[in-house]
Amino acid sequence: MSIRILFSTLRRHSMMPALVLLQVAVACAILCNVLFLVWQQLQPMLAPSGVAGNQLILVDQLASPQRAFTTAEVRGGEVALHEVPGVRAATAAFGLPMVGSNLMDIALQGPNGVKVGVNGYLGAGLIDVLGLQLVAGRDFLPSEYRDFGIGGTHEKWSAGGPQPIIITQTLAKRLFANGRVLGQLLTDPSDKNDLGYQVVGVVRHLLRNQLGLATNGRADDTVLLARRIASTSTLSYAVRVDPALRKAAIRGVRKVIQQHFGALLPTGITARVSSYSSRREAAFKSQRAALGLFAGITLAVVVVTAIGIMGLTGFWVQKRTRQIGIRRALGARRADILRYFLAENALIVSIGVAIGMALALLGNALLMHYYELSRLPWSWLPVGAVVMLLLGQLAVLGPALRAAAVPPVVATRSV
Amino acid sequence: MFGYYFELAVRSLRRNPVLTILIVALIGAGVASSMVTFAALRAMSADPMPGKSAQLYEPQIDNWGPANPDVHGEPPLTLSYIDAEALLHAHAAPRQTALYQVAFSLVPADATRAPFAVKGYAVTTDFFAMFNVPMAYGAGWSALDDDKGTDALVISRRLNDRLFGGTDSVGREIRLDNHDYRVVGVAGDWNPQPRFYATGSIHVTTDHGDAPDVFLPFTHAVEQQIATAWGNYCRPDYKGMGWDALLHSECVWVAFWVDLPTPADAWHYASFLHNYAAAQQRMGRFSWPPNVRLRNVPQLLAYVHAVPEQVRVSFLLALGLQLVCLVNIIGLLLAKFMRRSVEIGVRRALGASRGAIGLQFLTEAAMVGAVGGLLGLLLTGIGVYGMGALFTPKIARLVHVDADLLGLTLLVSIVATVLAALYPTWRAAQVQPAWQLKSN
Repeated sequence: MSIRILFSTLRRHSMMPALVLLQVAVACAILCNVLFLVWQQLQPMLAPSGVAGNQLILVDQLASPQRAFTTAEVRGGEVALHEVPGVRAATAAFGLPMVGSNLMDIALQGPNGVKVGVNGYLGAGLIDVLGLQLVAGRDFLPSEYRDFGIGGTHEKWSAGGPQPIIITQTLAKRLFANGRVLGQLLTDPSDKNDLGYQVVGVVRHLLRNQLGLATNGRADDTVLLARRIASTSTLSYAVRVDPALRKAAIRGVRKVIQQHFGALLPTGITARVSSYSSRREAAFKSQRAALGLFAGITLAVVVVTAIGIMGLTGFWVQKRTRQIGIRRALGARRADILRYFLAENALIVSIGVAIGMALALLGNALLMHYYELSRLPWSWLPVGAVVMLLLGQLAVLGPALRAAAVPPVVATRSV
Repeated sequence: MFGYYFELAVRSLRRNPVLTILIVALIGAGVASSMVTFAALRAMSADPMPGKSAQLYEPQIDNWGPANPDVHGEPPLTLSYIDAEALLHAHAAPRQTALYQVAFSLVPADATRAPFAVKGYAVTTDFFAMFNVPMAYGAGWSALDDDKGTDALVISRRLNDRLFGGTDSVGREIRLDNHDYRVVGVAGDWNPQPRFYATGSIHVTTDHGDAPDVFLPFTHAVEQQIATAWGNYCRPDYKGMGWDALLHSECVWVAFWVDLPTPADAWHYASFLHNYAAAQQRMGRFSWPPNVRLRNVPQLLAYVHAVPEQVRVSFLLALGLQLVCLVNIIGLLLAKFMRRSVEIGVRRALGASRGAIGLQFLTEAAMVGAVGGLLGLLLTGIGVYGMGALFTPKIARLVHVDADLLGLTLLVSIVATVLAALYPTWRAAQVQPAWQLKSN
C-alpha cells in the first residue's frame, strides 16, 4: 500500500480529515503549553531540599520594630532552645528553607564569567542544624564567623582575603564547569570593591527560599555564608530535633520562645513555630492550586481529543464500509485494513501536530506578552507532539478494529 | 411545528445513542472546563465595592528615590507618616482617610473571661462614608474626635455579639491592652474582598479575610504609639529607634485613600499630588523629580496582580479547549445529520422547504446542547467543589456556583452547539431529494 492511496483518499473526502487535523492542531498547542506550565509548578515541589526535613523545627516572625534584639537575647534564646528535651541542635539564622519572610539575594560570578543570583543562608553551624550533606571540602571554622544582624550589628567582611562560602553541587557544576571547585574564587559582579568569596565546601542539595525562582534548574541556587546572628531586629531560629520526640519538642520550643521573646514582641505579633514539613505544605499551597487547575485542563484536553478522534474516525470508517469490503474481497488481510487506518490517522495527526507546534509557540508568545510567563523551550514541543500521536493511535484503534472486522461479503451487497 | 421537531429530535438522539453520548460528553467537558476556570476568575476579579471602587483613589509618593532598586521606579504602596500627615492637613479631596492595621489584646470587663486578640484599623472618620460601612447602632466619630485623638471606638457586629450579646452597646466601654475606649458605633456587615483598602498588607496571602473587629481614631493610635500590625518598610540604612524617630522617618507604613467623585476631582488631586512632591523637592527633602501615582481600586488591584496569573492563563487555555470541542461537535453533528440523507430526501420530496429542514436540525442541535449543558452543570459542580480542596479557604469561599453560573453554563452550551450546527445544518438542507430517493 503506497502513501499515494492514503493521500488521494484524504483529498477526495477532505471534510472529516480536516476537522481531525484542526482539532489536533489546537489541542496540541494547548497541551504543549499546559504541560510546560504543569512542569513549571512541579519543579520546586520535586526538587530535593537537602535538609533533614522530618527533624527540623523553624521559628520566625520574631520581629521588633521598636528596638533590635540584643546579642545576649539572641544567644539566650539559642541556649534555652538547646535545653528543650528532644532538641539536638539549634541556631539563630537569617534565611532558611521554606521561610519566605527573610530573603537574602547574593550575586555571584564564576571564573568562567557565568553570573547567578542565589539565596544566602546565614547562621552558625547551619550544616549540622539543617542536616546538610557535605560532599566536598569542610564546614566553616569557628574563627571564620562574623556577626550579622538586620538593623543591628553588621560586621563587614574586612579581613585580608575573600570570605569563605559553601555552595551546592549544582552551583559548583555551573560556576566551575566540572573543574576544580575547592579553594576557587567567586566575585560579586555588582560590587567591584568586594573582596569576593572562596569556596571551602560543597553540599549535595539545598533548596532556595525564593520558591518562585526554583524552576529551570535554579532550585539549588543557594549558598551558606560564615555569619553568626548577633543584635538584629528580625530573628529566626532553626532547631534540629529527635524525630521520635518531634511533637513534644515543638511544644517545648513554643514555650521557650514565648518565655524569652513574648514580652519583647509588640502586640499582635506572635512568633511562628512550626515543623519544616508543615511549612512546606503551606509554602506549596498556591503551587498545588495552580497545578490542580492545569492538570484538570490537561485531562480535559486529552479526553476531548480522544472522544473527538474516535467519533469522527468512527463515522468516516462507517462511510467507507463498502470500500473496505471491496478491498477485503480483493485480497487485503484484516491486518492490512487495520494498518491502513492506523497509518491514515498517524498521517493526519502528524500534519496537525506540525501546525500545532507552531501554534503552541505563537500562543506562548502571546501569553508571555500579557502575563509574566516563561518562554516555552523548543525541547518541550516534542512532548506535546508525542502525547498527541499516541493519543491519536489509541483513539483510532476502536474504529480501525471495527473496520478490520468488515467481512468481504459486504462488497457484494448494496448499502 | 416545534413540537414535531422536538419529537423528531428525541427519536434521532435515541436512534444512535453512542454518537449522541459522544456529542453530549464533548459539550459537557468543554463547557465545564470553561465554567470552572471562569468561576475562579470571577471570584478573584470581583469588584470589592461595586459602584464605588472607581472613585476611590490611593495616592502614592516616591519618598525613597531612584536608589530603591526593588520596585522598578514605582513608589511604595503606603506613605510615610510625614506625607500622610501633610495630605491629611491639605484636605485636597472631599473625603480622605489615613489608616493602618492595629492589633490588641481585649480584656473583657468580666474578669472570669480570658483576654482575646482583636484586629482592626486606625482610621479617620471619613473612612466609614468612603468605604460604605453600614452602621447597625450609633455612627462614626466626629471630626473633633479625629483632631483631638479621643478614645472613640467603632466595633464590628461580630465583636458586639460576642461582648454585648448583640444589644445596642453605644456608650459602653471596652478595654484594649491597657486603655479604655468608649463605643460610639457598631458596624453592620461589612467585609469587602479582597481587602483592597489595607494596602500595607495587600500582598499577604495568609490574611484570613475576616471583617475587622475594631476601628479607632488615627490620631489617637499615633499618640498612644500603637505600632502597625502590618509592619513598616524602612530603607536598609534606617538606624532610628523608637516611635518619634519612626514618625519623622521615611519609613512607609500608612495607607492613604481619597474619595474623588468626578474625573475633574481626580485630575485636580493628581496635580495637587504632583505639586506636593515638587514642593518637597524644592525644600530639599527629595533629590529627585516628583514620582507620584494616583490609582483607583481597579487600577490598584491590577497593579498588585490581585488575580493570580495562573488563573487567567488557565481560563484562556480552557477557552482554547472549548474551541477543540466545537470543531469536534461540527464533525460529529455532520456525521449525525448526513446519515439521515434519505429521511431528508423524503421530507423534501413531500414538500418541506430548505428552511424547514434547517429549523428541524437546529432544534435538534439546541436539544443536544441543552443535554450537554446539563452534564456540564454536573461537571462544573464537581470542579468547583474540587477547587475548595485546592485553594486557600479564603479564596475557595469566593468560588461558588450560583444562579448566574448555572444559567451561563446552559446558555453557553446551547449557543455553542447551535453555532457548531450551522454548517452541518446547511449541508443537510442542501441534500437533493431526487438522488436520495433514486438510490433506494
